[in-house]
Amino acid sequence: MSSAIAARGLHVHLGGREVVQVDALDIAAGQWTAVVGPNGAGKTTLLKALAQLLPHAGRVDLMGRDMREWPLRERARALAWLGQDEHGAQDLLAWDVAMLGRLPHRAWLGAPSAADLAAVESAMRRTQCWDWRARPLGQLSGGERQRVLLARALAVQSQVLLMDEPLANLDAPHQADWLLTVRELVTTGRTVLSVLHELGVALHADQLLVVREGRVAHLGATRDPGTHAALREVFDQRISLHEVDSQWVVLPR
Amino acid sequence: MNRAGRISLVAGAMAALSLALLLLGLAIGSTGFEPVRLGGSDPVAWQIVWDIRLPRTVGAWMAGMLLGLGGALAQGLFRNPLADPYLLGSASGATLGVSLLLVLIGAVPAAGTLGLRLGMTGAAFVGAVLAVLITLAMARGVQQTLRLLLAGVVVSMVLGAAASLVVLWVPDIMRAMQAFMLGSTAFLGWPAVAVMAGALLLSLVPAVVLSRALDALTLGEASAASLGLAMPWVRAALIAALALATGAAVAQVGLVAFIGLVAPHLVRALVKSTHGALVLLASLMGGLLLLAADVLARWLLAPQELPVGVLTALLGGGYLLWLMNRGSR
Amino acid sequence: MKRWLGLLLLLVAAVPCAMAAAEVVDDRGQRSRWADPPQRIVSLLPSVTESVCALGACDRLVGVDDYSNWPPQAKALPHVGGLEDANVERIVALRPQVVLLSRSARVSERLEALGLRVLAFEPDSLADLQRVLAQLGVLLGREAQAQALWREMNDGVERAAAKLPPAARGLRVYFEVASTPYAASESSFIGQLLARLGAANVVPGALGPFPKLNPEFVVKANPQLIMLGDRNTVPLATRPGWQGIDAIRRERICVFTPAQGDVLVRPGPRMPEAAQLMADCLARKSAGEGAAR
Repeated sequence: MSSAIAARGLHVHLGGREVVQVDALDIAAGQWTAVVGPNGAGKTTLLKALAQLLPHAGRVDLMGRDMREWPLRERARALAWLGQDEHGAQDLLAWDVAMLGRLPHRAWLGAPSAADLAAVESAMRRTQCWDWRARPLGQLSGGERQRVLLARALAVQSQVLLMDEPLANLDAPHQADWLLTVRELVTTGRTVLSVLHELGVALHADQLLVVREGRVAHLGATRDPGTHAALREVFDQRISLHEVDSQWVVLPR
Repeated sequence: MNRAGRISLVAGAMAALSLALLLLGLAIGSTGFEPVRLGGSDPVAWQIVWDIRLPRTVGAWMAGMLLGLGGALAQGLFRNPLADPYLLGSASGATLGVSLLLVLIGAVPAAGTLGLRLGMTGAAFVGAVLAVLITLAMARGVQQTLRLLLAGVVVSMVLGAAASLVVLWVPDIMRAMQAFMLGSTAFLGWPAVAVMAGALLLSLVPAVVLSRALDALTLGEASAASLGLAMPWVRAALIAALALATGAAVAQVGLVAFIGLVAPHLVRALVKSTHGALVLLASLMGGLLLLAADVLARWLLAPQELPVGVLTALLGGGYLLWLMNRGSR
Repeated sequence: MKRWLGLLLLLVAAVPCAMAAAEVVDDRGQRSRWADPPQRIVSLLPSVTESVCALGACDRLVGVDDYSNWPPQAKALPHVGGLEDANVERIVALRPQVVLLSRSARVSERLEALGLRVLAFEPDSLADLQRVLAQLGVLLGREAQAQALWREMNDGVERAAAKLPPAARGLRVYFEVASTPYAASESSFIGQLLARLGAANVVPGALGPFPKLNPEFVVKANPQLIMLGDRNTVPLATRPGWQGIDAIRRERICVFTPAQGDVLVRPGPRMPEAAQLMADCLARKSAGEGAAR
């Protein structure tokens, strides 16, 4: 299987320290990889570096081509990013925010095309925020806002999606919705790479990328016992994994 | 969505009000309503209405539009609702430029003729633009918003202090400086209006074209970059537009406070929209506000005039006070 | 024969016509031609207002600035603002044929753009004043009167100087214009008059006409007589270190009223009066010295 994102010799320095050091990393295409690890392991930094949002040493390829050789807009159409710290202006309507996801497709000026409108509607329906698309962001709760931001990321209709803590503020039913959405995306051949601290949800992914102190501790199929062992180890054996109803559950020890 | 309808309504109302105030501005001045009545029969009255009152009224409107646009750009760029267009040091730069020019004219009569040709307007504009460039240099480019903000504050304070030093050193210019700093539309003729119209056009273009970039910026610098925007270029273009708009306004009418700060707020209170509409509406609102302040300034103590900057400070301060109280309830 | 006579008459008539076009050079160095002396004049400088009136053209003034208050005839004229906030509309409404203002007035550009003729005169020193008076004379068609006026003014100063008792001569004087303190140095108009009266100015001309001084400087210079242009000064003795100054110990301080201040500060036709004011001060305050001897 080809890799959607491949990194070689990736080093990131922040505040004088080397925060991420990855010699080789291949994120498989058409799969959902969850990035897990203890707090401060450098998961967000790694993700941002892969998305070219942080300066880094080394080389990152997107779908076989060096990131630096991709024209900006083409790359933005191929790779969508959902960050942890997106606020959005209080006055923008939910629909406006979702439409921002179409920026890589739209010209500088001009009304949205039919394709843009369809993409936004489909994305907003997926995250169930279409009904209140005319509400300004400032009037939404945390969970509602997160669903709008998710819709924004989905509206890009990119091949690859990078998401940093996408489940923030979401209640359990909506977390389940997100799970279903990701599964659908993967079925259509897209690649999803998400940083998650909700281990229970992460264990539904196809692959787990376990990060510790800025290095790759383990990358492997989620169902693999070796992956489970690596997971337990990176959390200092303070968690235990159990299979319930053919799903894996994490419990603290 | 009926948002489009609401936007048109607000824009239309502002345009109508502006027109009404424009007509009022023609009727107000130190010689009262007489010139309007005499009109065609008396060439001097004609000149008063068409060469003095009309250009300064239209000029006030244009300067207000430039400042309103600057305010919307500053608040969008810095993602801060309290940002005003003078944030990057343009006000202090203009003040320093004017003070240096006045000293030059007074001290060296030969250089004075060059100075007079450049004029206070030119000196103020050059000073404003240079100040923004210094801010950019200090912040080492447009990369980081916070660094830009800090550099802007530093430049404002240092250049402001320098201007004060100049005035202390050559106290003769103190009165002229004060007149400049309080703001006035008294010196606006048709050439000034043409210059401002040009500046308005030049700065509106990048503002409107890049308005979606301003929307994207509300998501954060990283997310905006991920949407395929070449952020350094976008920021540079927006800062250039901001510097041009602010510099042109300050050069022509002096330091007028609060218009840039308040215009976007008032628009947002009336209609919630993306930056595409906000930039244009804030511009219209700024024009309306300064036009109203100018008409008031000429009418309250007629035949004497209040400096328009004093009125905008009073009105703007009052509005912010009201906003504060409303928020705390 | 008649034809030659006619031509001769034409030539004779033409000469004064050609000579009647006066050429005036203002302080900006700009030359302007005036076929007839202007009959409607607006003046934005009090000193120029006074000069115009002294040349007998007061009735040709149609508007003055807010600070022109002498002679009473000028004070009664419409006021059109100061140099920085001149009311463009009012000036235009007065239909002036010429507007007289200072070199650095921002309003001159606007007025010229509206088609008005503008002349800049800024008399800062005795030499300036002589030149300005001469040019005003040319402008108003009163050249002879201008020369006579200048002679009279000079004579007035000489008379004031001559009447000074010997004890009043050579005193070291400090003239404070405003209480920041701003002083009048040797190179200012006031300083030059003081020099004609034989007084020594403690503030050298190299510092500029109206330097802002460090109060220490005055203590070190130790003037024998102090003249104050600003009535609102805090008592000088309260300034640190000033109690030791000669002038303060001997109470040789002259305080001028605002009206007197106007006379002193404006380089204009009241120059002999200004000299007399200062001479009176010198004579009065040095009287104690003479009596003691």
